[in-house]
This record gives sequence, C-alpha cells and structure tokens, in this order.
Amino acid sequence: MAVAIEIRSVSKTYHRGGEALRVLDELDLQMDASTFYALMGPSGSGKTTLLNLVGGLDHADSGQVVVGDIDLTDLDGSGLARWRAEHCGFVFQGFNLLPVLSARENVELPLLLSPLSKRQRREQAERALELVGLQDRMDHKPRELSGGQEQRVAIARAIATDPAVILADEPTGDLDRTTADAVLELLQRLNRELQKTILMVTHDPQAASYADKVIHLDKGKLGRIDDNRHAAKGN
Amino acid sequence: MPWKLLLRNVLRHPIRALLTSGSVAVAVFLMCVLDAAYRGLDTAVAEASKTRLWVQSAVSLFVDLPESYQTKIESVPGVKDVVRFQWFGGIYQDPSNFFAQFGVDPAKWAATYPEVQLVEGTLSDWEKGRTNCIIGKDLANRFGWRVGDRVPLIGTIFARVDGSVWDFTIAGIYESKSVNVDQGTMFFHFEYLRETLEQGAVQGPSGVGVYLTSLQPGQDASAVIANIEQMFENGPQRVRATTEAEFQRQFVTMLGSVPTLLLSIGGGVLFAIFFAVLNTVLMAARERTRDVGILKALGFGNGTIGGLLLVEAVLLCAIGGAFGAGLALAGNRGLWSVFNNFIPGFSIHGAVALSGLLLSIAIGLLAGALPALRMRSIAPVTALRMEA
Repeated sequence: MAVAIEIRSVSKTYHRGGEALRVLDELDLQMDASTFYALMGPSGSGKTTLLNLVGGLDHADSGQVVVGDIDLTDLDGSGLARWRAEHCGFVFQGFNLLPVLSARENVELPLLLSPLSKRQRREQAERALELVGLQDRMDHKPRELSGGQEQRVAIARAIATDPAVILADEPTGDLDRTTADAVLELLQRLNRELQKTILMVTHDPQAASYADKVIHLDKGKLGRIDDNRHAAKGN
Repeated sequence: MPWKLLLRNVLRHPIRALLTSGSVAVAVFLMCVLDAAYRGLDTAVAEASKTRLWVQSAVSLFVDLPESYQTKIESVPGVKDVVRFQWFGGIYQDPSNFFAQFGVDPAKWAATYPEVQLVEGTLSDWEKGRTNCIIGKDLANRFGWRVGDRVPLIGTIFARVDGSVWDFTIAGIYESKSVNVDQGTMFFHFEYLRETLEQGAVQGPSGVGVYLTSLQPGQDASAVIANIEQMFENGPQRVRATTEAEFQRQFVTMLGSVPTLLLSIGGGVLFAIFFAVLNTVLMAARERTRDVGILKALGFGNGTIGGLLLVEAVLLCAIGGAFGAGLALAGNRGLWSVFNNFIPGFSIHGAVALSGLLLSIAIGLLAGALPALRMRSIAPVTALRMEA
C-alpha cells in the first residue's frame, strides 16, 4: 500500500513563560494511503501538534513532514496555504463554520480557491452536502442547524475540494453519543467509498474503534499502533 | 476575494455598521458645511469692489459720523460719489425674523452698485415715496413679500416716541450678481430716517453710520484713503477709510478666530471619527480571529485575509462618506437659505464633497490597516485557538 504521510524524525518545542515544552520528540511515523487512522494519547502527548504539522498549519522545528510526494517543510507560508487548499480537508471539534454563510456557502468557500466556475462550485458544494445527507439543509445558516448537522457540513466542506487527506481534530468532542456515531460512520464511509486517508485525533476509545489503525502517542514519541482490522478479524 | 463573505461581514452587526457609517457621514457633512462657511467668509472679502471705499469713525463702527462729512468727502480729489449708510436694526414681528435694513441715498446707492439690478420696480418707483424701500430677492421669497406690500418694523435703535411701528412700502426687488451684496437686505431712504429724527418723533442717534465712497475710474484707492483720513485728522471726529475688501475683512475679524475655529472643529471631528472607525474594525477583527483561522486552514492567503478587513473598513467609511457628501450637496440650497444672511458666499463645493469622500476612504484605509496587518500575520493555529 502506498505511503500517504511520512513523519521523519520530527521535533516540535513550544516556549511558554520561558519554559521549553517539547511536544514532539524525534518522531518517526508512516501512514498508508486510503487508511482511517485514529491518533490517541494523553493530553500533551502531541496529538494536535502532529495533526497541525501534517495539515501544514504549523512548522516543525526539525525533521520532515511528507504528505503524498510533497515535503511540507520545504514550503513557506503561502506555499503551505496553496497546498492546504488543494490537498487537505479539515474537520474541527468546534465545527468552525462561518456563521454569516449558509451551509452551501460554507462548503463552497474552499472551492473559491479552485479554477471552477460559479456554477461548478455550486454543483460541487451541493454534491458534497448530498453525500453527508444534508441536501435539505443547504440554505440554512449554522445557527439553524444541530451540532451533528453542523459537523456534517464541516465534513462536506472538508471533502468539497476532493482532497486526498482529511484531518479531524476531536470531530465528535462536542456531540452526543448517537450523533457522534453518525459522524464517525460518515467518516468511515468517506474512507471506504472515496478512499480518503483520514487522520483523526480523539480521546474517545469508541471513536477510535471506527478507525482502521490507532496510533498511540506518549510524550511526543510513538507508543504503539493498533490495527483494528486485524482485531476485528480475530474476533 | 470572497466578496459574499465580505458583504455578510459588513452586515454582521447592522446597527454597529450603521453607526460607524453614520458617524463618518456626519463628519463629512460637517466638513462640507464648515468649509462652505469658511470659504463664504473669504469670498465676501475676495469679491469686494476695488472702486468703493468705506469711511467710518476711527473710534468704532458703532460711533456715528457728522452729516456734514458727506460734502467734505465728496470734495476729496478722486471721489466720485458719497452714499450715506445707516444701520437701522428694526424687528419684523419677532427678533427671530432678523434681516438687515439700511437707510441710504437711493440714486447714489444704485449708481455705486452696478452689480445690483432691480428685477421688479424701478429706481424712480423707489424714489417717489418717502417710506418706499427695496428688498433683496431672497428676503422677498423668505416672507412672500411683493412690490406694494407694507413692511412694519419695530424700531430698536430708532424707537418711535409714541411706540408705533415704522411703516415701509416695498417699491422694488433687487438681484445681485455678486456674493458681496446679499439678497436678504432692505434699503430705504436715509432722508426718511433723518427727517423723522428731526421731527422728534423718534429717539436715536443722529448722524451717519458709514459713508460709502465710490472712486472715479483709475484712481489710486490708497491715495484717496490717505487724503480722507488726513482731512479729518483734527476732528471733530477722526475717520478710518478702508477699501471694501478691508471693510468686509473687518467683519470677518469681528468674528474673532471663528474661521480657525471652524477648521479646528472639522479637523477634530475627523480625527475622532478615525478612532471610532479604528475601534470598530479592531472589535470586528477580534471577533473574527477564529474565522481568520478557518480561512487560513482552508488555504486562503494572508493577502486575501488582510484585504477582507481592509476592504470592509474602507467600505463602511466610503458608504458613510458618500452619504455625508451627497447629503451636503443635495442640501446646499436649504443650507444656503439658513446661512446666507450672515455668510453671503455660503455654498457647498463639489470638490470639497469629493475630498470628504476621499478622506473617508483614507480613514477607512488607515483604520483598517492595523487590524488587517495583525490578521495577516497571525498563525493559523493561534487564530483557531481563539474563542469565538
């Protein structure tokens, strides 16, 4: 299986109040394409930092972050912005939809950076919303949607540009169990039907059970990787 | 540039947007009005005649000169004509109906003011009746007066002993081609005033307020001024002779530092508005830091993100500026009717209204620049961590 994400000896240190906090410590990791990964670990283990580095939202102090065939550590701020627009979709815990835009307009937003025409953008946004089951909520503003619906709009926005990689930071953290399960099933479906590589940060073992593999981080280092598919076969 | 998002952001807080734009509109409107007032005062001086002199008491404009001075001034070489001018200060029904009235010598006055034309009635109509007067076109429009109407005035400086009012009959209506002579004044026979005083029917100062002196063509005003002042150097009343421009400037000076004050107020208001807009944009930027993080995560560049805030600030100010400038231009006629009585050259200038609009755009650019730069430089992860 092709490698989608490769982390080569990556370190990241934050400085707060004169104190240095090393959140990633010479981390090496490979993630296969078209695989659903859950990233677990205690608070401060570097999960979100790793997600931000893979998503080109932050820079590593040292090492390399290679996604697809692009070394993100070679890109500057504007290069990373262009890369994010083309190759990466984000789903956040707080949904992070723009409140002044409708569901369709939120999904259409990343498509403004593509060469698509207005009509093509609209059609693609509507397809993405249909895929997440919100075809009847397209003109609703975020405040008119439930938490689960908001997160599904966020997922539709993440897949609107058809990126190879979807990064999700605690996507079910603000949802009740039933709604969380529906969102996780949706992510699983995107992985299985559209072959998206998904990296999801979570604290919730039940959420992690939807992933193919679970990466455990501890104090900035790789702990272990559990393969849920093998476990499922074993059961 | 995501224009839809930009417009929605502008209208995100409609009342705040309205107040911000409204404050810019008021500032630009005020700037146009203050400028018109300032220019109006200046225009009256600039358009003053170079062939007319004003001779007044050297002590003060409020001290009258002897009537005998008229013939003496007429004898000064270079002088063409001398017109007696007396401020009347009457009240029409109520002090709020204020307008200026002067007692003059009709024929000489008409000859001295070639820029003034009688559009209704004639000079001989005016001269025929002792109580006849002429009024400016604006004054006629203001009170709906026509030729033949009677105008009763309550004397203040020249109060009638029996408490009755002064009666004047409108014999003509004049128009002026120069802002230097306003169209809101009444001119009547000086002789009517003098005779009434002599009969003892009226109490008030005798004499002449000012002698309006016209020069013969090609005469050097400064030489004539020197001769007139020298003639009365030993009394009984010393005089001060000035060109009409200098005389007008004297009125502007009487307002003290009003012109400077007008400009200071205008500048101060614009300065205050700049901080009000800056505050609004800073608040908007702070509220939307998380939105900025989302846009950065989606791949929008720093230029677009900074541009969103900058254009929003410019848009808010430009809308306000355009409204204020438009309102000032549209209301020019109404404003003129209010201010024309004491600022004859009052007029809103299109160029100033345009400057106001450009200034409001500049305020938007300046006020938007700081928050735009901050949002440009903020790291995506930092912006995303901000509370919504």
